[in-house]
Amino acid sequence: MSDKALAGVRVVEFGPYVALPLTGRILASLGAEVIKVETNKVLDEMAFIPAWSRGAGQPDYQRHKKRITLDVRTPQGRDIFMELIKVSDVFTTNFRRNILARWGIDFPEVRQVRPDIIIMWQTGLGGHGPYYTYKSYGILVQHMCGVSMMTGAPGAPPAAVNTSYSDYHTGVFQPAAIIGALLRRQRTGKPATLESSIFTSGAVTAGPALLDYQVNQRLPERRGNRDPHAAPHGVYPCKGEDRYCAIAVFNEEEWRAFCRVLGNQDWSEDSKFATLACRLHHQDRLDDLIGQWTSQRTAEAVMEQLQEAGVAASVVSQGQDLYDSEHLKSREFYRETKYYAAERGKSASEWEEGSSLSWSMPAHLSATPMEFGDYSNIGEDNPYVFGQLLGLPNDQLAGLVADGVVY
Amino acid sequence: MSRDPLADDHLIPPYRVLDLTDESGVFCTKLLADYGADVVRIEAPGGDPLRAKGPFPNDAPHPEKSLSFLFYNTNKRSITLNLETEEGQSLFRRLVKKADSVVESLPVGYLKGLGLDYDALHQINPQLVMASITPFGQTGVWSKYKSSDLIAMAASGYMQITGEPDEPPVRQGNSQSVYPGAQYASVAILAALYYRDLKGGEGQYIDVSLHEALITYYTDAHPALAWKQMGQNVTRVGTTSTLVIPLGAYPCRDGWISAGIITPREWDTLAQWIYEVTGNAEILNEEYRGGNQDRAPHNDIITALFMDFTSRFTSEELFHQGQERNLVFLPVNDVSDLLLDSQLEASHFWSELDHPEVGPLKYPLGIFFSEEISPGYAPAPRLGQDNRVIYRDELGLTEQDLVRLRANGDI
Repeated sequence: MSDKALAGVRVVEFGPYVALPLTGRILASLGAEVIKVETNKVLDEMAFIPAWSRGAGQPDYQRHKKRITLDVRTPQGRDIFMELIKVSDVFTTNFRRNILARWGIDFPEVRQVRPDIIIMWQTGLGGHGPYYTYKSYGILVQHMCGVSMMTGAPGAPPAAVNTSYSDYHTGVFQPAAIIGALLRRQRTGKPATLESSIFTSGAVTAGPALLDYQVNQRLPERRGNRDPHAAPHGVYPCKGEDRYCAIAVFNEEEWRAFCRVLGNQDWSEDSKFATLACRLHHQDRLDDLIGQWTSQRTAEAVMEQLQEAGVAASVVSQGQDLYDSEHLKSREFYRETKYYAAERGKSASEWEEGSSLSWSMPAHLSATPMEFGDYSNIGEDNPYVFGQLLGLPNDQLAGLVADGVVY
Repeated sequence: MSRDPLADDHLIPPYRVLDLTDESGVFCTKLLADYGADVVRIEAPGGDPLRAKGPFPNDAPHPEKSLSFLFYNTNKRSITLNLETEEGQSLFRRLVKKADSVVESLPVGYLKGLGLDYDALHQINPQLVMASITPFGQTGVWSKYKSSDLIAMAASGYMQITGEPDEPPVRQGNSQSVYPGAQYASVAILAALYYRDLKGGEGQYIDVSLHEALITYYTDAHPALAWKQMGQNVTRVGTTSTLVIPLGAYPCRDGWISAGIITPREWDTLAQWIYEVTGNAEILNEEYRGGNQDRAPHNDIITALFMDFTSRFTSEELFHQGQERNLVFLPVNDVSDLLLDSQLEASHFWSELDHPEVGPLKYPLGIFFSEEISPGYAPAPRLGQDNRVIYRDELGLTEQDLVRLRANGDI
C-alpha cells in the first residue's frame, strides 16, 4: 500500500505566477507527479522575486515538480506536449484560450487525445463575460473584491496588504477542486473542465458582509483593529522599533485575568471599564492606559505573561520572529532548500546555486504526509520525462535540443 | 456559456462529515458542503455561538437570522448534541461509526478529555478521516495558546505588512484568518478520502495549523527569508508600493482606482497616455523608463504625476480605457459593487437561496465554474432541524428517547 495520497495521478502544469504553481506544489506534496512545462526563453516574472535575491522564492512554488523545457509553439514541441497529455490525468493552465488555440493545445484538442482528462483553467477575472479578457494582478484584486474597503482605520483610506492577496486563495481552492474532480471521474466516468478565477476567489472572502448589505443595505465600516465583541482589542506599542503586541479580551473572566497580569492598576477598577459595553465605550482611554504599560515591556514578555494567564495575545511577528520561532522550529515549518539565481539571457542550467528557505505544508496528514520534496531547476527533469516517461530515444532528444524545441 | 439548469452533479459524493468547527474552521466544512458532502453541523443544545453573532436583519438578534451563520453553513444539516454528557458522547460515537469525516476546531486536548480524540474515534471507525483546525497546531510550545482573528493575523505576521508605514499594523477587515487554514484542511480531507477510497487506505488524522497556513498566504513578501539573507524585517508599505511604481490604489474623480504597471512596455504605454492627457512632458523622462526597479528612485515625482492623471477620470473610465490599452487598471469595489458586478454575474458566482426565516438572498457559491458540475443550493439549516431524521430514522431512536434526551439536555 502506498503512503502517498495521490500516487499514480499525473498532472501537466503549464503557466507562470503564483496561484497555478502553488496548486501544482500542493498536488505534488500529496504524491501526484507534477510535470511543469516551461522554457528558458520566456521566464516566469516570479523567478526574479524577491528583487534582492532573484529566484530564492521559487522553491516555495516550484519544488517537488518534474521541470521540463519544451517549446510548444513548434510543431514538434506541440506533438510531444500532446504525448505528455495522453499519459496524464490533469491539465492545469492559466494561459488564455486564444493563445492555447494558436499553439494547437486548446481544451478540445487536449480532450481529443485524452478524453477523460481533468482540466483546471485558472483565470484572472473569469473564463467568459464582459471583461474576461482584462488583465489582473492578485495584489490588486484585494481592492477589486471589496476587502481593502473594509480594511484600515476609521476615516482613513482603504488599507492594503503587500502581497498577491487572492492568488493564494485560488492556489489552494484549485487542488481541492481537482481532487474532487478525480473522485467524480472515478465515480461517474466523466471528465470535467473547471474554471477558477482570482476575482471570484477573492470576492468570496468578503464574507458575511455580502449578506449584510443585501439585508440591511449596510457597507462594512473600517474599524482598524477594533471589534464590536471585544475590548481591549488591538495592537499595543512595545519596546523596540516597530514592535507591537496584539491583545484580545472577549469576556469578563479574561478581563479579570488581564487586570491581574497588569498588576491590578488603579484604573482597572474604574467603573468606566467594568463591563464589555463600558470598555467599548471608553476604548480610546483604555487603549492609552494599556499602551503605557506595554510600551515599557517587550512584545514577547507581554505575550507570554498574558497567554500564561489565559488571555489571547501575540507579538505582531516580523521576519526575525518567524525565522527564530521555537514553535515553528519544533514543527519543522521552515526548511533549508537550494535555489538557482535567475539570470536573463542565460540558460537555467548555468544559473548559480544558492541556499534559501522554504515552508513545509501547513496540513499534517498522519498516514500520507505532505512531502517537502526536492527542488529541480528548469529543464532538470528532461531526461526523465522525455527519455523514461515518453520513451524518446537519445538521438531524437539531441535533435530536439539542436532544433531549439527542447531548450 | 451557461450551466445546464438540470445539472445536479456535484463535485464530491455525499460524504458524511460531522462538523464540530467554530468560526476558525467553519469555512472548511462550508466548502465541503457546497461541493456536495453531507455535512451535519453539531450544535450545542443552546445553538452554535455563531447564531448569536451578527449581523442580523435590522440588528435584531435572533438565532435563526445570524447572517454569519447563514453565510458559513450553506448546504449543511443541523442537529443538536451535548458533547459534555455521557449520553451525548455515546450518540456522537454512534454517529462516528457511519461518518466519513469529523472536522473540529476545539481547543487542543478538549476532545481527548471527553474520550473523543482521534485515537478513540479511530477504534470505532478505522475508515474515519479526522481533521483538527487549530490556531497553532496540535504540537509545539504555542499549541495551547489562545487565539482569535486578530491574534492569528499578528502571530503570522500578516498584519505586519498591512497598513501604512507610519501607522500601527492593521488587520484585514474581512476575518482573513478564517480562510487559509480552512482551505488547506479541505484539500487534505479530500486527499485523505481519495487515498481511502481509491487506494485502499485507511482513515487518518490531519493536524492543520492556522498559523502556518496564514504564513503561506503572503509568501511573496518572504519575511523569514528576508531576515535570513539580509537581516531585514519587511514592513508595511501602505496602499501603494515603493518597489513597483505605480502599483496600488490611487484617488480618482469619484473614489479610488487600483493600477499596477510592471513591464517596460506597460510603462511606455502609460507614460504616453499620461502625456496625452496632462500635456506634461516630464512623464516621458528617459530615466523613468524600463522595469519597475528603474522607477524606484523617482517614486515621489512619478506618483505625483500619476495621481494628477488619475484624478481627472472616474474609476469606470480608467478601468476600461486602461484595460483597452492592455494596462492593469481595476476598480476599488465595496460589497455593493460586487453584488452588481456583471463579470461575477457572468461567472455564475451568485446563487439565490431562500432561507425560511430570512428570505431569498444571493450567496457566493460559484468559486469555480463548470458546465458539468454544480454546487449545492440549500440555505443554512435551522437549529436542530435534522434531529428527527438523524436520531430517529438513522440511529433508530424512538420519539420517547428524543423526549428524554431533550429533557436531560443531551440534545
